Amino acid sequence: MPAVANPEDIAKQFGLESVPASVKRLSQLLNKCDATDTDDFAKLVNADPDLTKRLLCAANPRAECEEDYGITTVEDAIQRCGMSAALLLAMSDPLINAVHKTFSLMLNIDLKNVLPMTLDPFNFTHVVGEVGFSGKATGLVHLRLPNEFIPVLGDRLLGLTPADMQDEATANDVIGELCNMTVGNFKSNLCDAGLTCKLSPPKISRTEEFRLHIVEGGTSQRYGFHSKEARLYADLSVNPFSES
Amino acid sequence: MKILSVDDSKTIRMIVKRTFAPFDCTVLEAANGEEGLAVAAAENPDLIVLDITMPVMDGVTMLGKLKERADLKSIPVIMLTAESGRENVAYIAKLGVRDYLVKPFKDDQLIEKVERVIALQPKAEAVAA
Repeated sequence: MPAVANPEDIAKQFGLESVPASVKRLSQLLNKCDATDTDDFAKLVNADPDLTKRLLCAANPRAECEEDYGITTVEDAIQRCGMSAALLLAMSDPLINAVHKTFSLMLNIDLKNVLPMTLDPFNFTHVVGEVGFSGKATGLVHLRLPNEFIPVLGDRLLGLTPADMQDEATANDVIGELCNMTVGNFKSNLCDAGLTCKLSPPKISRTEEFRLHIVEGGTSQRYGFHSKEARLYADLSVNPFSES
Repeated sequence: MKILSVDDSKTIRMIVKRTFAPFDCTVLEAANGEEGLAVAAAENPDLIVLDITMPVMDGVTMLGKLKERADLKSIPVIMLTAESGRENVAYIAKLGVRDYLVKPFKDDQLIEKVERVIALQPKAEAVAA
């Protein structure tokens, strides 16, 4: 779509939320990706304590605590993991926020972030919602939830009974729309950061053994969420340079 | 009053229907832009609540076609979509929409936006009158 004047003013006029700080930071990082050296990119990461922490953690995958880190500087972590991995980590907040917003506003469920390895693994048949996006960035988001959570979704969202939600088409439509809202929000944030892309329609499946699909040239990250009603995983795989 | 909900998700159409159930209005449904145009032409709704990403014909194309037709262009449109990218919102605003609500949303937010465009009356009041 062609650019028009004052998009931020128009968004304000409709009462839309302002662009989050995490999206502005992602945009700044993307602007530094073309540089021949990584100094400016590293400076931006260094200015963000949360992102620095995540990157150092990613660069030291075997360490059990910060004292065990062999790589201790952002510059070395970027050398080790690459800019793509740092960008993926910078996309974490927009995706996590989108998951929280969708579950809170639509289902009145307050999720807590948890380390994925602390959740019991889904080694049983569970539901997988997949939404892809393509353009300047290409990627896949998978939301995975246990089957026992499906009746809760139907009840909270539409007041449906567990029997109603046994109809696979109804259950898939509900799950698909929740995935669409979550990833649609995330994708809008990517667009605002300069990574213009389009969504694909959600695909819903059921599986016992989920294998993460990593997009070509991409990196991936898993996020865990927990509430008294349920637990879920969100998996993000993205190539932020798919049009480069 | 007639509100037309155009969304490929049955879930969203059900939410819109439930949201306006306490009011004296009929919620019509369409699953894509092509169906939306047909229902709008046949029913002349007072308001259209329109999604963007849909199969067959998306919401932006439907909005453009609606604005080209003399008999339909005055029907107010509120976008209800997960799309909140600034450039896209600005482009859609230029085509002519009355308001814009981003999914996920609360029922109250939708009612508030709709009430700014059409006068909703509670069902009981309408019966009593």
